[in-house]
Amino acid sequence: MSVSDLFDLLILALLITCVLGIARVRDLATAVTLFAIYSFVLCLLWAHRGAPDVAMTEAAVGAGITAVLFFTAIAKIGRREK
Amino acid sequence: MNVLLTHVDYIAAVAIFLVGLYILLVKQNLLKKILGLNIMETAVFAFIVTAGMTDNGVPPLLGPDAVGPFASPLPHALVLTGIVVAVSITALALALIVRVKRECGSVELNELGKVE
Amino acid sequence: MRKFLALVLIAALGAVLIAAVVNLPEPGTTDSPVHTHVSAGYIKGGHEAGGADNLVTAVLLNYRAIDTFGEVTVIFTALIAVLAATSLAGPTERSGTQNIDLKTTRVPVSPVVSFVVRLMAPFIATFALFVMLKGHELPGGGFQGGVVLGAMLILLALFSGRTDKTDDEELPPGLRNWIRAAGPLVFGALGLTGLVFSGWLFSLPDHPFWREMVMIGLELGIGIGGAAVLVGLFRALREG
Repeated sequence: MSVSDLFDLLILALLITCVLGIARVRDLATAVTLFAIYSFVLCLLWAHRGAPDVAMTEAAVGAGITAVLFFTAIAKIGRREK
Repeated sequence: MNVLLTHVDYIAAVAIFLVGLYILLVKQNLLKKILGLNIMETAVFAFIVTAGMTDNGVPPLLGPDAVGPFASPLPHALVLTGIVVAVSITALALALIVRVKRECGSVELNELGKVE
Repeated sequence: MRKFLALVLIAALGAVLIAAVVNLPEPGTTDSPVHTHVSAGYIKGGHEAGGADNLVTAVLLNYRAIDTFGEVTVIFTALIAVLAATSLAGPTERSGTQNIDLKTTRVPVSPVVSFVVRLMAPFIATFALFVMLKGHELPGGGFQGGVVLGAMLILLALFSGRTDKTDDEELPPGLRNWIRAAGPLVFGALGLTGLVFSGWLFSLPDHPFWREMVMIGLELGIGIGGAAVLVGLFRALREG
């Protein structure tokens, strides 16, 4: 098992942790922050997989624009999930 | 066991997809459902990019001193298109959710059932 | 009960999916079907037929140009739909009592954040433009540069400390709408040019210089139009 494989496994573990966190938390703002972290970790994985174009787009869209859109909506609908 | 180790990327993508589906099905908050939908989308993208990778991780860039084997460019192009469409879907869904909040006063699905 | 049913469904679907993926070829092997069918042709002929060293750009702008045309149309249509959903009002629209107005109630921006954002913005914009212009040789292209530019404009709108209007409101409204439609318009116009000159819709010129120029034009159109659409989505959501 090489360093590269270990890196992959670490990234995958982080991704699944983030996703389980999103499923668990009740606070919408925390969930969206976790989603931004998840997107950024995913973009690291893709940069490692030889997909720099996709990684660049995901870093800007997933971690940036989507999170901002979610936060804008949360500002209007309230951050508590019942 | 060996298969689980070599296909760990695919299995992780499936696991993430299933957690996203769980959020989409069980959570009552509409915004949380859209978050689950986004997770499912990114899991599919991760699966497609993984399918197109090569072991040495060389991006599909030709040039004077580029050596292969290159990652397959077609999955990358598909995922690129998919990401931009996904953000459009998210924006439209969020706009509709904000509208629902304004018209009905709630974004919880079980409370919306009682609204006339 | 609902949770239990969902878990049963997910377990069943998960079993099927796991059984399917472990029978796929091992990821990373180069003799799997992903690498031996169309992609092999793209990689072999990418430089001459595709016209770009970055094969992702070659696939997007040349081999699968109609897909990309549909895609820029989709995000433009999404902007129209979001504008319709947020601004075309029902009777309760303009009363605005439960409507949080972010422009008046938002927390003041820290001067440090505002300064750093304004310091970074020109560099991010330059990077985005570089990514768009060199997208046929290096990693990058229209979408990639466009989303970086869009993210920069949204960052400025959030943190620059201006409260009167966002930066893209500096443009006259007519021009702004044309820029938002730039993706489909530029792509459609250059596609029709290909039809006139070579008989095939969305075909690129054979001459290397003109092919590069057309690719740069397409990438600028997609990128700047895409950035304007993304900023438009953000503003519509914030003000709607």
